[in-house]
Amino acid sequence: MKKHYINKYLLIIIVLYLCIILFPFIWVFITSFKPEKEIWGDGALKLIPNNPTFTHYQEIFKQNILNSLKNSLIVTFVTTIYVSFVASLAAYAIARLKFFGKNILLSLVLATSMFPQMIIVGPIYNAFEKLGLLNSYAVVLPYSSITLPVAIFILVTHFAKIPTSLEESASIDGASRLTTFFKIILPLALPGIFTAAIIVFISAWNEFLLTITLNPDYAYHTAPVAINYLKGQFQVYWGQVAAATVVVTIPTLIIVLLFQKQIISGLTSGSVKE
Amino acid sequence: MKKVFGLIIVLFSVIALVSCKKEKVIKFAVQADSTPALEAIVAEFNKGDHGYKVEIVKMPNDSNQMRDNIITSLSSGSDDYDLVSMDVVWAGQFAAAGYLEPLDELIDDADWKISDFNNGSMASGKYSGKHFSLPYFPDLGFLYYRKDLVDATDSAKLASGNYTWNDLLTMAEKYATSSINGIVFQAIQNEGLICNFNEFSDNFADIENGLKLMKAFTDATFTPNDILTYDEAATHTAFLQGKAVFARNWPYMNGMVSSDESEITPEQVGYAPLPLGGTVGGWLVGINKNTDVMEGAKEFIQFFTGPKGQKINALKGSYIPGYNELLEDEEVLEANAILNSDAFQKALQTTIARPVSPNYAELSYDLQLAIHKYLAGDATLQATLTAIEEALDE
Amino acid sequence: MDKRLGYYLVIPALLFIVAFSLLPVIQSLRLSFFDFQINDESKSNIYFSDHYNIRLSKQDVYYIDYRLTKQYLPAVKDEAVKSEVISFVAAMNKEHKVITSNLKSTDIVKIDEDTKAKIKQFNQTIKNNINNIIENDQDINDTLKEDILALANELDSTIITSNYVGLDNFVKAFKDERVWITTGITLIFTFVSVFFELILGLVLALVMNLSLKGKGFVRTASLIPWAIPTAVAALMWAYMYNADSGIVANLLAKINIIDNPSVILGSGSKALIAVITADIWKTTPYMALMLLAGLQTIQPSLYEASAIDGASKVQQFFKVTLPLLKPSILVALLFRTLDAFRVFDLIYVLTGGGPGGSTETISIYSYQVLKAQGRLGYGSVIVIFMALLVGLISFVYIKILGVKVAKEM
Repeated sequence: MKKHYINKYLLIIIVLYLCIILFPFIWVFITSFKPEKEIWGDGALKLIPNNPTFTHYQEIFKQNILNSLKNSLIVTFVTTIYVSFVASLAAYAIARLKFFGKNILLSLVLATSMFPQMIIVGPIYNAFEKLGLLNSYAVVLPYSSITLPVAIFILVTHFAKIPTSLEESASIDGASRLTTFFKIILPLALPGIFTAAIIVFISAWNEFLLTITLNPDYAYHTAPVAINYLKGQFQVYWGQVAAATVVVTIPTLIIVLLFQKQIISGLTSGSVKE
Repeated sequence: MKKVFGLIIVLFSVIALVSCKKEKVIKFAVQADSTPALEAIVAEFNKGDHGYKVEIVKMPNDSNQMRDNIITSLSSGSDDYDLVSMDVVWAGQFAAAGYLEPLDELIDDADWKISDFNNGSMASGKYSGKHFSLPYFPDLGFLYYRKDLVDATDSAKLASGNYTWNDLLTMAEKYATSSINGIVFQAIQNEGLICNFNEFSDNFADIENGLKLMKAFTDATFTPNDILTYDEAATHTAFLQGKAVFARNWPYMNGMVSSDESEITPEQVGYAPLPLGGTVGGWLVGINKNTDVMEGAKEFIQFFTGPKGQKINALKGSYIPGYNELLEDEEVLEANAILNSDAFQKALQTTIARPVSPNYAELSYDLQLAIHKYLAGDATLQATLTAIEEALDE
Repeated sequence: MDKRLGYYLVIPALLFIVAFSLLPVIQSLRLSFFDFQINDESKSNIYFSDHYNIRLSKQDVYYIDYRLTKQYLPAVKDEAVKSEVISFVAAMNKEHKVITSNLKSTDIVKIDEDTKAKIKQFNQTIKNNINNIIENDQDINDTLKEDILALANELDSTIITSNYVGLDNFVKAFKDERVWITTGITLIFTFVSVFFELILGLVLALVMNLSLKGKGFVRTASLIPWAIPTAVAALMWAYMYNADSGIVANLLAKINIIDNPSVILGSGSKALIAVITADIWKTTPYMALMLLAGLQTIQPSLYEASAIDGASKVQQFFKVTLPLLKPSILVALLFRTLDAFRVFDLIYVLTGGGPGGSTETISIYSYQVLKAQGRLGYGSVIVIFMALLVGLISFVYIKILGVKVAKEM
């Protein structure tokens, strides 16, 4: 009997939690179909639009949104690929090989992941200005400062889990360290690399400060930056903002639905002692 | 064979001719215009026989982001933009940073005088004895009031502009009811506060009195309790919903009066200049000193800010012309109803600029902080005066 | 052998870290010793020695000439004054040519002491002459007089001196009220939001750890707020808080929790609460998932053992769960504290630091100084200060509370 009550309360907590978590998305989704007039005043609290419309979607596709999605995809994929690769090499070395300065390197990686991003923005801006790299896809390079440390941490944990016996038997067979790495370790580590890649993908997709600073030009805006530019001086067209929000959120939703296992494992690896 | 040969020669000469006539491109960085005016001006200019072609480079709608964008480009010495449009408060900063080409000589060459242009706009673009910009379109603060609530005597007094802030305070009290506020304006701690204070303080000439006056307004029982959180949007919402007799705002609100959102009609709305002049907002145009098409840029800026361009802007976009002569032009008056109001015309003649500073963003922040603190009752008059003086001196 | 390979494998990562993290930090440190301002031509570079801004001096000389000959002279009646002006202008142009002809540049150029003295004297002569001519003239138009004097005064800024200022920027930051105010706001934001996130996250983790139907769905839903771009989340909240059409603002006003929908983002204390609420919404699910992972590592046998000892559910929580969960809690806290302390996107999009700086955190302030005001030198000091605080927070967590960030460390 008692247990039944507990479950009831728990259910209420869970439902309430889900409502709070999902409400903004649902509300923005509804708004994106409301004509501008119903977004205002009395219509503001209405759940179902009287005259649903697609005009906001048509409007935003006339603007910069498609191009910004393209930019986001380019920037995110490039970052994910090169960061995962570079991080795999480094993580393997850290997890398996003995070399001088390993701890210094690890401290450096850790420090990088901790200090405020703002500190690197000014100097990178100056350097990019001198090199003529402002307003270009070169912005993926400094993306490494936010993604590389996380990727390395996740991968070190994963490499450490692979039994050493495999490498030992391979070296007895006469394979070199590098061959072992590519032929034996890498395939085994693929799930881990994939996990790291997903986390890198999400942080690159969400990046804001570097793009807004280094790529002020429209043509190179990523989706999170472009959507923020939809606001005007005295008035904001919330219908368009809502439509754009829906469009930009969809890729994230897909990633989350498809790869939730990897995301959770990536989030918690390195932070939980097993 | 001969025919083919001849054809080829003709073809080549045509290509040669076409490529000879290739026009040099002038890139103009400007926010998108929601009206057809900007494109019409550019199209008209591009028809001319001067060998230049203007291309619009669309800037973000958010002004701060646009400013960052332009600074990024200009500070690197690039010639990505040959002409830039700028908010009135950026001009001082851009000029001090050495981004812009001075225009006084150009103004003389065109046989113009400084006084041919909107007063406040020109003052905003002046730095160290040189003018660095010409008006794109001026924007200005003025008083809206409910004609249907205010009696004829007071209406006449308001429209003439011959009244003081104290008179306005008395009137606001007189017409306020339990459900309708006397007056609304912008007292939130942002740029709007500076624009309003500029008007209260006689263009920063009498800061002490300005502070006292403004506090009398914000403390009054007939202004909203939360007037210190009022921005432009809150102001237009209150006025359009019929919840205020007087409202200080920019011209954009006039367009909203006739929209669906409004519960009052254009017939119920009157205009008046503010007692000590209205703050200038709006936009200016300047030339990048590093442009590779200086002659073309000069040509275009003359066209754009001169009578021809400004007329198109007023006719097609209902913008207020920055070139004063057009304020009496019949076509312009016909296209832009508000210009027919004598009171509004008066307001246009008495515009004032905000302080011009190479570090305006910082100055504005310091002023906002000091003034808002005083209005909220968290600082004494003396302390506030000192803080303002210090900020202005820096 | 291992060693060599180790280095090879690490080099690419190291290069990225050096190029995009280490060098920029060093550069920030360097900039902090200079009065480097983009908005001011005489400070928009690192100058160790004296320079001369030829372009500006040419412009000013040209405009003095222009204003005097074209605008002032036509109105002058006195012949003596006329010839005085003409000869002054000629002398000025000639002298300026002499100075610039020795300098091989049209822009900003390094100068030696000798040249600097000459330029100084040149500037002074012009000022004196102009004062002589203009101050004695009663009839001159006020604006023209002001303009010409302003031009003459601007000549001073054509000489650029070293903008190395030593520790001045640090002293200034120490005295800058806004640095302390924004630090305070950042600390309030961090403390309050992390506190609520921890409590709520813990409750949710405990609930999610029970075997309930639809567990997978709850977990997926929890990932969404964390996964969407912060800028987009902030925009959604900006919409819901908006006075004219925001559902949160209007609902709260309807049930009289607030007097007016505009006060949420319009008044200081409420705006800060609004921002904190948005942050809690976005990161509580993340906190819950981190803690859930920790909970799942606790052996069920431990609960069984304590149940046999007669411990109640509450006692179990405090005696078994909490102590075993402590490492996970601390790690989650460390990550969240650092993230909250560095908050930028959320506030930049939601309030921009307003109204009136009431939600301005130190990262927003530093961005203002760096971008809007273009003061790279001073801005660097603020970000360095911020980095030091971050270091302090990490130190407290790692060394004092003993957080193990990664197994290897």
